[in-house]
Amino acid sequence: MDFYLPIAEVSVNAPLLVALGAAVGFVSGLFGIGGGFLMTPVLVFLGIPPVVAVASEANHVAASSMSSVIAYGRRRAVDFRMGGVLAAGGAVGSFLGVEIFRWLRLLGQADLVVSLSYLIFLGVIGGLMLSESVGAILRRRRGEPPRARRDRRPLWLYGLPLKMRFPRSRLYISVIPPVALGVFVGVLSAIMGVGGGFILVPAMVYLLRMPAGVVVGTSLFQIIITTSLTSVLQAGRNQTVDIVLATLLLIGGVLGAQLGAKASARFRAEELRALLGLIVLLMGLQMGLGLFVTPDEPFVMMQGAG
Amino acid sequence: MAADLPPAGPPAAPPPALAAPSVSAALTETQVRVTSSFSGARIVLYGAVLDPADRPSDVVVIVRGPDQPIRMARKTRVAGLWINSRPVVFQGAPGFYMAASTRPLETIAGFGTLRRLGAGIDHLAINAPMEQRIETRYGVRDVVVSRLGADYLDWRRAVVRLKENAGLYDTDSTGVRFVDKDLFRAEIDLPAEAPIGAYTAEILLFQNGEPVHRRMRSLTVEKAGAERALYLFAHRRPWFYGLATVIIALGAGWAASVAFRRS
Repeated sequence: MDFYLPIAEVSVNAPLLVALGAAVGFVSGLFGIGGGFLMTPVLVFLGIPPVVAVASEANHVAASSMSSVIAYGRRRAVDFRMGGVLAAGGAVGSFLGVEIFRWLRLLGQADLVVSLSYLIFLGVIGGLMLSESVGAILRRRRGEPPRARRDRRPLWLYGLPLKMRFPRSRLYISVIPPVALGVFVGVLSAIMGVGGGFILVPAMVYLLRMPAGVVVGTSLFQIIITTSLTSVLQAGRNQTVDIVLATLLLIGGVLGAQLGAKASARFRAEELRALLGLIVLLMGLQMGLGLFVTPDEPFVMMQGAG
Repeated sequence: MAADLPPAGPPAAPPPALAAPSVSAALTETQVRVTSSFSGARIVLYGAVLDPADRPSDVVVIVRGPDQPIRMARKTRVAGLWINSRPVVFQGAPGFYMAASTRPLETIAGFGTLRRLGAGIDHLAINAPMEQRIETRYGVRDVVVSRLGADYLDWRRAVVRLKENAGLYDTDSTGVRFVDKDLFRAEIDLPAEAPIGAYTAEILLFQNGEPVHRRMRSLTVEKAGAERALYLFAHRRPWFYGLATVIIALGAGWAASVAFRRS
């Protein structure tokens, strides 16, 4: 059953998109990430103009994240105050990111920056997660005790001014690191068409030293705010959000997210991290290595005449 | 540069004859409605050659979509990476172009005639005005020089190739078929990616290598029904549209979560 998308102006197979939405939603619920880094490249591959894919995907991420964050909220696994601080930075970041993206498109270098961002960020984060979690799995298999968590918190978190209490995370830290993290993730989400969960989750664990229990829920909460804002901004400024595309994706997405959240209880945390690390790493390599391969077609047509 | 000649002017007046040959044609559809189930359209063009003298005739049908500037870049290797060059904007390329004829165009008429008529993809006046400057060379004034230099032809071929791959450009040297003595038929295949806007179908009658008569038919491709409503909503009230999409997304997420909790 083919559907003509009113904004993307291409015809797509509706059941395929719903199934894709469900698959990515499942991954999203399983790992507590938005899943944009998987979906955006797939949409582009299916022939949807990249600007529309990036903008509509933000909407799909918002829906899947909403679907799973409620469950986390009931378990009191969301630090709303931390999420709000991160989102404040994220809002600034998405404004900046939309402008940077426009400028890059004008120069014709948006493709390059997107591919390089995927290669660098997904590659590094995926690699780190994979090696860390595989190490943890091996230690458990050998019966060694898990490496003692260093409770000594880094000085730079405590030396900065503007301290704030985050009771749910049991933290009393400066707001500057979370705001800066939010800005950074906001910029990336506008450029790469992702929610930024794959950066937020490890950053909250390793940089902010938040308790593992609240990390995923808080990340989802922040993602909802940032991606909702990005959706409205993209629709308002660029008219690039395709409501039909987003709806097809989110029908599958919200259901998949529920199933994923249920399935996540069956796995150990480090196994999940290893799997996610592997997916992230492969996606980064897939996107980035294209830069090194001699293209079949040396010419590319670009969207819009700017 | 040959490809930079001015676009086709009106064809030469038919040579005076006692009974001037003429051509007449009609499209089975003059309005293509793009709705949510749109996956391309096939339009049939029927026509007849009216020539009392019964001279051998060739018919060429040229369908053009709305002109769209094209922005293109070329990948070049820099330090091991394939990087896009500076984008180049091309003008004069129609968003859709189909040339169908009774036999290959170059056997119907000479190069000059085809160039003047803009008949055939090779004769489209695709150029990059922002790369051009006018200067005096060897004492000749107003020479058009393109900054793309000798690569210009590579770029132009790439424009055509990419459009052909998308099903938007087509040359069919047997696309016009005589189904009866003077009655001919041609098919226009519009892909789902065909741009929205006003199209023209030009029907040219050739005799003896010269265009003797021309008919124009028009065709519009427009969004209809829900597609049109959504498109207008997105463009006329973009901020409300954005809010609506977010409300749908958050609502669906919430609803799924509630539904799964109960089950």
